[in-house]
Amino acid sequence: MEPTIIQQAMMGFQSFSGYIYPNEYELQWSLLIVLYPYLTGLVAGAFILASLERVFRVTVILPVYRLSLLTALAFLIVAPMPLFAHLGHPERALEMLWTPHLQSAMAMFGFVYAWYLLVVLLLEIWFDFRKDIVMYSKNSRGLKKYFYLLLTLGSTDISEEALRFDNKMCKFITVMGIPSAFLLHGYVGFIFGSIKANPWWSSVLMPIVFLFSAIVSGIALMILIYMVTTLFRWKKIDMGCLNKLAEFLFYTMIVDFSLELLDFIHRLYESEESIHILSQLITNRLFVSLIVTQIFLGSIVPILGLIVGRFGKLPDELRRIVYFLSAVLVQVGIFSIRWNVVIGGQLFSKSLRGLTVYKVQLLGLEGLLMTVFLLILPLFILYGIVKILPPWTDSELEVHK
Amino acid sequence: MPKIPQQVISLGILFLIAIGGFVIARKFFIPHSFGLYGHYRADAVEEIKKQEIVYAGAKACYDCHDDIYDLKAQSYHKDVACEVCHGPAASHVENPDGVLPPIPNDRKGCAICHDYSPPRPTGFPQIIEARHNPGKVCKSCHNPHNPTLPHTPESCSACHREIYMKKSISSHASLECATCHTVPEGHLTSPRANEVGKPQKREFCGQCHAEDAQVSKDILRIDLKTHGERSLCWECHYPHDPETNT
Repeated sequence: MEPTIIQQAMMGFQSFSGYIYPNEYELQWSLLIVLYPYLTGLVAGAFILASLERVFRVTVILPVYRLSLLTALAFLIVAPMPLFAHLGHPERALEMLWTPHLQSAMAMFGFVYAWYLLVVLLLEIWFDFRKDIVMYSKNSRGLKKYFYLLLTLGSTDISEEALRFDNKMCKFITVMGIPSAFLLHGYVGFIFGSIKANPWWSSVLMPIVFLFSAIVSGIALMILIYMVTTLFRWKKIDMGCLNKLAEFLFYTMIVDFSLELLDFIHRLYESEESIHILSQLITNRLFVSLIVTQIFLGSIVPILGLIVGRFGKLPDELRRIVYFLSAVLVQVGIFSIRWNVVIGGQLFSKSLRGLTVYKVQLLGLEGLLMTVFLLILPLFILYGIVKILPPWTDSELEVHK
Repeated sequence: MPKIPQQVISLGILFLIAIGGFVIARKFFIPHSFGLYGHYRADAVEEIKKQEIVYAGAKACYDCHDDIYDLKAQSYHKDVACEVCHGPAASHVENPDGVLPPIPNDRKGCAICHDYSPPRPTGFPQIIEARHNPGKVCKSCHNPHNPTLPHTPESCSACHREIYMKKSISSHASLECATCHTVPEGHLTSPRANEVGKPQKREFCGQCHAEDAQVSKDILRIDLKTHGERSLCWECHYPHDPETNT
């Protein structure tokens, strides 16, 4: 039966309101593009956390130092996968490397990624684990022995002098790694912030907001991974370490939240012509994901949780639960930030006169299942890496002391 | 000379292999004509040039069909090229009598632009194809080369479908457009030269919404003296879909 005029009108209202250009009806950057900055943020955050121990000598977080490096690696391996799946032709990604266009920020991704993976993370992990790798290659048998021998790259010298050099190199790479981590995630923020045609994205604060939210998400992730891995290994959680992580998470959240507030107030005060459609966007399309999930559940509640958990007089068991729940909420909040930036920026028309909607697919290369798969995949990769290079410090504390 | 640590030698070799591999791979994968004219494969230009030309371009049509061309150039369809409706015509230009471009004899082509779609700008003529004279071919009433309407539209919805749709399910559904808009006589035939008028006084909306208005008590009321200061009502409220709960 043919729908009535009213039904047709209602069908229209469900998908868009006001005036949108024909090419804005379908969103080009899907859920996978939400996932990409989320994953790179976790990488940068986990690495920056690791560098606190190495560069700034925050020795209390030693139990998560190596785990952070391996987590960063596991997530970095998966970080470009959403882009590959989104493009549909992963093999074409190589074209960007063969013939780089130096004036395109997006085309620089391959180099930023390669630098971070090959020169920063892998090198640091290699230097940090080299003594262990050599020991494994000596103590293992069969294929395992040869596998570890291959990982040593032929460098089997573990004399005191060689280990001192490893340590020095590790520190050097970490110092170099901090600006690199800033570059990696600042770069992702730059991609959005430099799109001047989009008033929701175009902001010089974007890279710095991305960066701090990355650090927040990385620390929260390490709290979760540390707590879960300790639980499954039947070990006792180092409360000194966990308290310090919670403290760092709290401080970075305050900075991150202030920066976002600054961005918001700045936009409100500037009150450019886009302000009307942006206010409609916030109150209408992004109400749940911005006001409820990002600001309330993802920022205010965990900040209060961390204050109570860290500075309140609570028994350790309760403290751990509060930290865990806060860290989970932070992850939800940071994912919402990515969603609100990527999807939110495409929900309003460039005519500034209308709004469209985004319907998440379930199946397909850019669907929800793919996203869930790519979110879980790094955890399996991490499991594999941890099996090859156990990062646990329980028996190796003396390595760094 | 200081001793080079073993690790540096191992890594150095690995990096040299990686960089060397990258350089060799570049030689292998980059097409030889890349970069000749710019940041693209120059051979692509030749390949594109070799493709068969199927479109003739509007100027070619003008050479023989200048009467129709001139008629269309004065009409609303002046920006619609001939081949949009008649299809690629290069072969027709080469062989005018042997190959004749199709003359559309259905409703599909017109509906591409004129079927109702909310994103289209208001004022753009739109119909709901299934309801608009079903079964009749468009050109039996409209001349595509001069598509001025055969008779003036009977309803505002012919051009303002989006507003009409919104209003039809709003609390203002029962109001005729002309209740609020003054419609100059020439608007139906020459809309842009004769624009409709909007209420310019707050008292106009006050006829129904002021506290002392003599209408049904179910209609929302405001104090005209204090509400919204000196703004016109439609500067804050959208009269085609007014909010009902405030």
